[in-house]
Amino acid sequence: MRVVIAEDAVVLREGLTRLLDDHGHQVCAAVADGDALVTAVAEQKPDVAVVDIRMPPTHTDEGLRAALQIRQDHRDVGVLMFSQYVETRYASRLLAGNAAGVGYLLKDRVADVADFVAALERVADGGTALDPEVVSQLFRASRRTEGLNTLTRRERDVLGLMAEGRSNAGISAALFISGGAVEKHVASIFGKLGLPPSEGDNRRVLAVLRYLGTGE
Amino acid sequence: MFDNEVMSEPYQAGTAPARGVITRAGAAVLARTTLQAAFQAPLTTQARRNVLYCLISMPLGLATFMIVVVLLPAGLLISGSVLGTVVGLMMLVLNQRLARRFGGWHRRLADRFLNARVMPPTPFRRPAGSVIVRLDARLRDGTGWRATGYLLLKLPVLTLQYFALGFWACGLYDLGFPLWWLLFRNHPAATTLRPLPTATPPPFNSVLHISTWAATLWAALFGVALLLAAPWLTRGAVAVDRWLIRSLLGPGTLAQRVRDLELARSRAVDDSAALLRQVERDLHDGAQVRLAAMAMNLGMAKEKLGHQGVPDDIGRIRELVDAAHLNAKEALVELRELVRGIHPPVLDTGLGEALATLAAGSAIPVTVSAEVTERPSPAIETIAYFCAAELLTNAIKYSQANKIDIAAALADGDRGQTLRLQVSDDGIGGADPEGGSGLAGLRRRVGTVDGDLRVDSPPGGPTEIVVELPMTA
Repeated sequence: MRVVIAEDAVVLREGLTRLLDDHGHQVCAAVADGDALVTAVAEQKPDVAVVDIRMPPTHTDEGLRAALQIRQDHRDVGVLMFSQYVETRYASRLLAGNAAGVGYLLKDRVADVADFVAALERVADGGTALDPEVVSQLFRASRRTEGLNTLTRRERDVLGLMAEGRSNAGISAALFISGGAVEKHVASIFGKLGLPPSEGDNRRVLAVLRYLGTGE
Repeated sequence: MFDNEVMSEPYQAGTAPARGVITRAGAAVLARTTLQAAFQAPLTTQARRNVLYCLISMPLGLATFMIVVVLLPAGLLISGSVLGTVVGLMMLVLNQRLARRFGGWHRRLADRFLNARVMPPTPFRRPAGSVIVRLDARLRDGTGWRATGYLLLKLPVLTLQYFALGFWACGLYDLGFPLWWLLFRNHPAATTLRPLPTATPPPFNSVLHISTWAATLWAALFGVALLLAAPWLTRGAVAVDRWLIRSLLGPGTLAQRVRDLELARSRAVDDSAALLRQVERDLHDGAQVRLAAMAMNLGMAKEKLGHQGVPDDIGRIRELVDAAHLNAKEALVELRELVRGIHPPVLDTGLGEALATLAAGSAIPVTVSAEVTERPSPAIETIAYFCAAELLTNAIKYSQANKIDIAAALADGDRGQTLRLQVSDDGIGGADPEGGSGLAGLRRRVGTVDGDLRVDSPPGGPTEIVVELPMTA
């Protein structure tokens, strides 16, 4: 997997580079601002870009703007937003239209190295990786709470994990339930929310996000 | 003293006094005290201070009047013409600036001698923007115009004061008439002398001409009369002056004050919002990054350690734990600095202690003297502390000084007790409060509580910066 990193804090930039190196991935560029990121992506054609949202010069949303541009210009490059805070508006803009190859993780998640690398690989493969925090905020922000209220607590857990981008196997591992039980829950959720059943991970996420009102 | 006499007299009579007796005794006492007061009036401290005030304020008032009376009409006339607009406006701006300064002198003089505690007007705040914006602000600066008004009206007041002083001078001269006569007119008895006129204060003409020594007593009596009248005249003239100073050199109308307060409030709100943003930024770029890096290092180390058995890459794990340890320590340092930046804990024990702590960390020797017997409110202490910290940092960074003095003391200002913080150094000077420096920011912050920051820093040094703050915000 070829990765471009955009992160203005040196210690994190170098740490990430080292971490990905250790896991056998190639960091082909590590930059510190949005413009450099766009240039690096155009030059390197990586599989995925890890993007900090707040970077110089204005320290507001240059990372997001660079990411949107990359999504537009290079459809096959995955983008993983990597931030210290969750901003639902940012997530919505990033996910707008297409959740394929998009991720939004809090920087905290890097503590669980294996999960982080797995999420990055998922995004590189065109999948989705949303932080549980992002998902729960989207849940809270969702106006269609009626449908959500009909879900059992377990079903809501499963829905959250689906929105994060997990596969059935991933969900069963996370909740310590059997694969058959997960399938049953997923079918029930799709039924209650009126979502079209689908097989691929990304289409499931898309369905969930559309339901939550960010997929448009 | 007089009260005692009034009280004791009827009881000395030994009987409960009848109504009429009281009245008569009271009238006698009243007459006596009035006479006493009248004769003592020229000798009171107040009279002396009034005279001193007039003596000093006359040349000053005359000089400032002359300057304004030239600048103002000239500026108005020239700016009215097509070609001279720029020059004329410059003259008006100069007039505005000078009027403020001169007004300040007059106000302080009155404060010093007349106990006229008039609050200083709010300092002129130069708005950011083009020359036009600044020019406009100067020309619309009401304080400057009111001060101009005072300087012009000072002339008739000066005339009054001049007459009053005339009474004093002539009175003294006439009182000494017998003496002068003996000293300078001790001619042989046969000599015929021209009658000598007594001194009569303007605008009157002399009516009394003295030709014999015996008659000089009349002159002396005339002098006493003049001297008795003089303190009341001075008092009147000074009262007019004081009233003018109050209404023209003070902080202005209520509306003006409200505007200033609104400005101060919006500055205070902006200031605290900026402070919060700074705190957020510091946390985001500092401790949060360190902690994230630490979590990452530990995560990687944990992964390498595996669930069981001996890890094969122990050197790398050691490296990761080292890095995590370093990040944890850095995070602690950054958090500590941030906390101190929000509110230095040592400030809780008092400003003196906090300033001493501040000075202890300086690379240039710093002497601290803090005589703050009464504690200002916490907000004021905090502002004073941060001013001292910022000024100290500036001095260390730019002044090339060999020593720095920090002094905090309570002072009696125009508005009662104030906290006066002075930071001075023997460095190269040239600190500019108008530039985009930290000084401008400090002045803004000080302004939020109606405080004042004055900079005296000529090129070549030394630098002296005085921050004056009210005791409560």
